Amino acid sequence: MIRFLLRRLAAAAVLFLIVLTLTFAAVALAPGDPLAPTDPRISPEQTERLRALHGLDRPLPSRYLSWLGAVVSSWDWGESYQTGRPVAELLLESLPPTLLLAGAALLAQYALGIGLGLLAARRPDSWLDLGVRTASLLVYALPTFWVGLMAVLVLGVGLGLAPTGGMTSAAAFELGPLATVLDVLAHLWLPALVLGLSMAGDIARYTRTSLIEFRSTRAGRAARARGLPDTRILLVHGLGHAGPRLVQMAAVSAPLLLSGAIVAESVFTWPGLGSATLQAIQARDVPVVLAATAYGAVLVIVASLAADLILLRLDPRIKVE
Amino acid sequence: MGRGRPFRDSGLSQRPGRPKRVGRAHGAFRRRSARAADSRCRRIRSRRYLPLRRFAVAGLAAVVGLGCSTGTPRDTTSVRVGLRFEYPTPNELIGPPTLAYQAINDQMFLSLMEEQGDLRDGPPVWAPGLAEGWEFSGDRLQLTVRLRSDARWSDGQPVTAEDVRFTWLAQVNADVAWAYSDYKDSITNVEVVAPHTVRFHFNADLPTALADVSTGTILPRHAWETRPFTEWRSDPGWFFEGLATNGPFRLESRTPGRELVLGRNEGHFEAGPPRAERVILRAVPDGTALVNQLLAGELDVASGITAADAARIDGRPGLRLIAYNNRQYAFVVWNTRKPWFEDAATRRALALAIDRRAIVDTIWHGHAKVGASPVISTTWAHDTNLEPWPHDPAAARAALADAGWIDADGDGILDRGGAPFRFELATYTGAISRWNAMQMIQADLRAVGIDAQPRRVEPSALNAKLHEQDFDAAASGFAIDTNLDFRALFHSEEIGGFNFAAYANPEVDRLIDTFSSRPDPLEGREDLHRLQRILHEDQPLLVLWESMSLAAHDEELESVAPNALSPLANLEEWAWRE
Repeated sequence: MIRFLLRRLAAAAVLFLIVLTLTFAAVALAPGDPLAPTDPRISPEQTERLRALHGLDRPLPSRYLSWLGAVVSSWDWGESYQTGRPVAELLLESLPPTLLLAGAALLAQYALGIGLGLLAARRPDSWLDLGVRTASLLVYALPTFWVGLMAVLVLGVGLGLAPTGGMTSAAAFELGPLATVLDVLAHLWLPALVLGLSMAGDIARYTRTSLIEFRSTRAGRAARARGLPDTRILLVHGLGHAGPRLVQMAAVSAPLLLSGAIVAESVFTWPGLGSATLQAIQARDVPVVLAATAYGAVLVIVASLAADLILLRLDPRIKVE
Repeated sequence: MGRGRPFRDSGLSQRPGRPKRVGRAHGAFRRRSARAADSRCRRIRSRRYLPLRRFAVAGLAAVVGLGCSTGTPRDTTSVRVGLRFEYPTPNELIGPPTLAYQAINDQMFLSLMEEQGDLRDGPPVWAPGLAEGWEFSGDRLQLTVRLRSDARWSDGQPVTAEDVRFTWLAQVNADVAWAYSDYKDSITNVEVVAPHTVRFHFNADLPTALADVSTGTILPRHAWETRPFTEWRSDPGWFFEGLATNGPFRLESRTPGRELVLGRNEGHFEAGPPRAERVILRAVPDGTALVNQLLAGELDVASGITAADAARIDGRPGLRLIAYNNRQYAFVVWNTRKPWFEDAATRRALALAIDRRAIVDTIWHGHAKVGASPVISTTWAHDTNLEPWPHDPAAARAALADAGWIDADGDGILDRGGAPFRFELATYTGAISRWNAMQMIQADLRAVGIDAQPRRVEPSALNAKLHEQDFDAAASGFAIDTNLDFRALFHSEEIGGFNFAAYANPEVDRLIDTFSSRPDPLEGREDLHRLQRILHEDQPLLVLWESMSLAAHDEELESVAPNALSPLANLEEWAWRE
């Protein structure tokens, strides 16, 4: 087990290095100059001075090596071209909101997906089943940004059921701890639902299929023969049967959740990694783009590793060689 | 038999025997009993989970209830403002050079003199800020400035001449690398004459002397001199520690990237302190989200609304939309080094072919006007006799024919010397209004036999192309300098800089040089009129529109009056109606 872990960690480190190098190359070799002057009042000499301060006057290999050295040795990602702030500090502020949103979205995705899959599996080929299958296909096909905009317009602006953006209300620092938690939850539920909805359809369809399959297995037939209620058979035994694959799907959905978070955070002005990345891309803030990509890669690698370990624990058929 | 979880609860793995055969009647009885038992179990389970459900419902209601904005009493002591901004540091010398950042910083830090917003009546007018008076020496090479004796930092320290000198030293320091340090090129020294008197020394008599002196706010020497200039850029957040401000507001709290809360600076020298106790500035990077938050009552003021979103606010009860003049104009610049645009006659024909009125009406919904000149109509030096070229496709075709553009091969596209009139029209990705305009320009030009191919280019890539003249034509925009210095845009020495058109006209160079050397800009009005007439004829760039900025606010909020210089102008006067 330890050897397996070490092997996976080594592979993850190599993967991480490749992601860093490719991202650096892609950003550095893209046409254009991130510090090209946009204001006629700023002189070319001043622009050159800024370029030198950010090390952009040095050759590419030298820039790459010093950047990589700083990242690996001290997790120093440099300073944002736009704000001058240390990038590590900037992203450290953005990461918790994204993890909170992605976690809540994952919860919503599984709660909705499993719930709907269960409903559909109880009466296969009924109107309810047909409805769930159609709805799950529909939400899978709808773009997150459109669903988000509609949710904001209808539930936020129209009905006032949720704040339309942000993570907290104005001057939320004045609220007590409980009120702050409730305030964040009030801002969280709609973006989490929208983000979770896009993947919930997939989970629902898999859950339904898996549960219907379970009925025809020996274990499913035996449970029925024992007189157990159908709900219990599906909920306890059927989901146990589908569990390992559902865990795997969580790992697979981690990158999708992260990319979806960029869209959802933009629509809901959620102050997370996605918003920071989007703004950095628009402003060609190279250090932030590089670091955000690396953070995303780390999250995906960690999620994938965690899923493998959980799967090992849950499914005894899987052995470490 | 598997040994996984599915069988752990049922115990089936221990008793895998064959089910007993039962009779039909007995079977029916068992099924009814099982259903009844199942139903009883469900009821019991249901009762068992009742408190949990109630808790869940109550929690959900609390969360959704908190999310509902309706019925929440208004806090009349504070104003919530949404705009797009970054505020990484209170030190403007290392902060982002954006209008929003400057607008926020100006609430906390004052300059020696304050530029007034209206440019319609004349060149910039300077009102006293931290300075209560100033006078030039006879040769205008020295300016003596008297500071207000009652001006204090928010920590109680007086604002002194030493602060002014410290600020100048920081502004011109190479390690600090302030973006606008060129404004200080004419200042050779800042001399402390007395605790509240400071003297600026200039290397020449320039009309922009007051602008050069007052560009940039005064920094707190006592708070920031402990940090060497070489370290200023390495940690912008350090300047928040022990922050002392001298403006009407002080920084009460901040959540990086999301929110700034400005509170009254009680020690400010102005008689009437800000009317609102607090101003909460919310960073909303997306225009649509900004309007949504305003409509949902989460903001009291929204600044930076797009014309498309303005329609959602206009006429909405309880909200007031404000359109105010800004200093911006959009244009299409023709690269005069390309064969299609090398002669002025062709460029004039292009102006005749494009229906700018239709573009403005369609895209801006009345919140912009067709531009006639880069010296925009809201400035004192605009030539009011100048009319925008009309939309006249027939005249455009005739002018193009006169310039040698004819459809010789009959493919519907004009050509000259065998080369078709086909070019790429670029703009920035994300510039939605310009992109929409380009679709209309493409159709207009196609109608006279010109094939313009719109293309979106990543901003920094297009900027580099514009500076290197590596483009055919491009839609871009500028905000005018209030000194009306057009050297960067049209002087032949600036080709390779912001003179994107690579435009060279000796008469234009002369007029720009003459205007910038006049001690009194008003005497140069005719220079600028002549400049506009030449540019109108030569058309190195076609001004598409002069846009207006849009903001909206709750009707109960009074005195909201943003202007061309700041979306937060007169913020200290904003207050809820009694």
